[in-house]
Amino acid sequence: MTGRLFMILLAAALWLSSCKGHMTQDLSDVNSVEDLRGHSVAVAMGGSYDLMLSEIGGVDIVRLSLGELLVAVEKGRAEFCILDQYQAAMLNLQSRGLEIKFKNILKGTAGAGFRKEDSLLCRGFNDHLKRIIDCGEYDSWLDEWKAAPDSMAYASFAVPRHEAEPGRRALHVGITINYPYLFLKDNRLTGIEVDFFNRFCEEAGYAVDYEIYDFSALIPALNSGKIDVILSHMRMTEERARQVLFSNPYIEGGGAAVCRSAEGGAAGVRAGFLDRMKESFRNNLVEEQGWRLMADGLWVTIRISVLSILAAVMAGAALCRLRMSRRRMVSLPTGIVIDVLRGIPLLVILMLMFYVIFASSRMTGTWVTVMSFGLYYGAYFGEVFRTGMESVDKGQWEAGSALGMSRFQVFRKIAFPQALGRIIHVLKGEVIALIKMTSVVGYVAVVDLTKASDIIRARTLDAFFPLILVSVVYILLAWLTGMGLETIERQLTSKSRRL
Amino acid sequence: MIKVRNLKKEFKTPAGESLTVLKDINCDIEKGEVISIIGPSGTGKSTLLRCLNRLEEPTSGVVEVDGADILDRRTDINLIRRKMGMVFQNFNLFEHLTILDNLTMCPILLLGKSREEAERKGMELLDTVGLHDKAGCLPKELSGGQKQRAAIARCLAMEPEIILFDEPTSALDPTMVSEVLAVIRHLANQGMTMCIVSHEMQFVRDVSTRILFLNEGVVYEEGTPQQIFENPQKPATRAFINRIRTLESVFENRHFDLYGLFGKIHTFCNKYGLGTKILEKVQHITEEMLCGIMPFCGPVRLTIEYSEKTSGISMTFYQENATSTILDNTGEDSLSLMMVKGMSSLVTEPNPGTVRIEI
Repeated sequence: MTGRLFMILLAAALWLSSCKGHMTQDLSDVNSVEDLRGHSVAVAMGGSYDLMLSEIGGVDIVRLSLGELLVAVEKGRAEFCILDQYQAAMLNLQSRGLEIKFKNILKGTAGAGFRKEDSLLCRGFNDHLKRIIDCGEYDSWLDEWKAAPDSMAYASFAVPRHEAEPGRRALHVGITINYPYLFLKDNRLTGIEVDFFNRFCEEAGYAVDYEIYDFSALIPALNSGKIDVILSHMRMTEERARQVLFSNPYIEGGGAAVCRSAEGGAAGVRAGFLDRMKESFRNNLVEEQGWRLMADGLWVTIRISVLSILAAVMAGAALCRLRMSRRRMVSLPTGIVIDVLRGIPLLVILMLMFYVIFASSRMTGTWVTVMSFGLYYGAYFGEVFRTGMESVDKGQWEAGSALGMSRFQVFRKIAFPQALGRIIHVLKGEVIALIKMTSVVGYVAVVDLTKASDIIRARTLDAFFPLILVSVVYILLAWLTGMGLETIERQLTSKSRRL
Repeated sequence: MIKVRNLKKEFKTPAGESLTVLKDINCDIEKGEVISIIGPSGTGKSTLLRCLNRLEEPTSGVVEVDGADILDRRTDINLIRRKMGMVFQNFNLFEHLTILDNLTMCPILLLGKSREEAERKGMELLDTVGLHDKAGCLPKELSGGQKQRAAIARCLAMEPEIILFDEPTSALDPTMVSEVLAVIRHLANQGMTMCIVSHEMQFVRDVSTRILFLNEGVVYEEGTPQQIFENPQKPATRAFINRIRTLESVFENRHFDLYGLFGKIHTFCNKYGLGTKILEKVQHITEEMLCGIMPFCGPVRLTIEYSEKTSGISMTFYQENATSTILDNTGEDSLSLMMVKGMSSLVTEPNPGTVRIEI
């Protein structure tokens, strides 16, 4: 049954993906940023192009994450997208029926960002930069990178420094995947900026630890102390300079507007479906060992899910006990806490915990996630537990007590098994909801299954395959969890039917 | 074995007032006795029973079981409860366990018996209550009577010294009452000490060695079944035993609301299933007596009593401040009196001013 349903969904998704949006408008006279008025343009959310287009006005801005930009144009969701022009040049746009319309948008420089109070670190970085620029080493190195990023990526496989020299600290560096500046190759982080920063740390004696964030989350993470450095091809704008201490610029950037090519109608010659799938499979999973990233992500998802379920069960049991207290002084505030927890969206709780409550602690995203999920789902589990306990007839307690059992014995032997038998169905739904909800942890720099697919999409700019793959994996996870809980349920009922 | 002194139990109503259910209970239960607690509903019979094993916390007083004060915090109530079985109105079998597991769980858990021993004993007990075939069933698969028998077997599995029965047949279909009573009777014959709260009067009369009549929060009358059932000493006991229902009205003068009174009599007769003929008789007698015979030299009180046990109806007219006998002054030829006498079986005047009429 599940299998057939899945096949139907898959077929529907394929059909949708093969439909192309119709676009009859002539784009030939769009040759500058101002001409974009009245057109729909896809940009990375929170990026410089986003701000720029907002200022121009009259542009229909489609805010997406980096990995979705090209796909949006391909599928006709937007007429244009703006990418880094260097990145655009590296891509095989022609084969996708796309072309670069015009370039050099918002040409400017990018640098590393530091906290305002961290001027010492910033000065050290600038000194290093000045030295290698002055001796000419920097330019030749950058040229090498630009000529052949993929082979340079292999060459630069110098492992980031893990142990700081005495007197030096470990730097937490927030990054966004952005080929070819920062990307994963064979499941290792590399790229122009990464290579450059690794060299700086090697020389200056800092240990370094990269964490992957959404671009729009980088500045809050820096200012709340989660990270020490922003290394994300960040353009130095005035607004950002108010919140961030930028290093001297070390790389130039500019955007390219990409649209469907005029002769894009000839895309009919594209390869057949199976070949496309094969190619997608190779691009997304095999090349650059994307499967390893996915496998790591899956493991993180499983680990976070298991820990969160445990935490939620414990928190739920505690909340249930307090909520059922006969003292109103205890039960009333607990009820309010439960309502508050259930009233805030989980993502907001997660962000609050990460950026506000535990901002100054070095607690990793994983633990903040487990705590947030434990609390949030604890509130739900607690109410489910309470419903279960209240469904146990008072007479069952009395009968147990009258036979001479202690309250705890009655709970363990009678009330709890009966309650569990009644709530396990509801609990199953909540547990599966929890597992699926772990897909939001990317917001707090945890690379789970969903985030892993985001990273791959940002590299391959292919939306279809990674998303379908991730959906399938989540369905399997939910299915396995359901099976596991059903086994427990069966054992519960068979136990009561011994003989 | 059990000694109860000055036991008092108050309940807090949701409105915050306290409601005294048991005022001052004193009683003793000796080994081998079968004590039944009877009384009108709402007099705290079940509450008294539940105070004996502290399922209800008494407000004050002393409850001693084998010399141990169960209200003392230092007494381990769970140890005492193990030798006091309790059978509930709603059975309260453990719903998630089979019948046999219901019987074996506590002996294994609390008495440290081996599973084999507990199961052997359990099957034996199921045999005695006639449920051998139901050992592997869940409680929900049993009828009410079977459930209650299983619950009794569960008590017996703990080898108690006394069993408390809290209205064991009240939740049963009439067809299933006798199978449960038979089991209890069987236990009584074997000399089990028991304390029973029940509304099954015939059963109580047959099985008890002593009966406590509870009324207004105290042990109102106490005695053997013969004493209580055949010769109750106090009016409330008698009313209860004969299941007497009453209707009372007081009239200040002759200008009372006759039709309002007829309405009340109508309701009363309907409630207890008395036919139209009796209703009309009662109404006629009332009219003749109040409008023709009673002198109204002061307020008149009317009491109509109906005994559900004997189906007899009696009406008592009481004239306050009566100076002489009423019937004699009325005269034999009074039409009203002739009609009253014609409709009733007996008209007497035990005291001057009090006319008693039996229908």
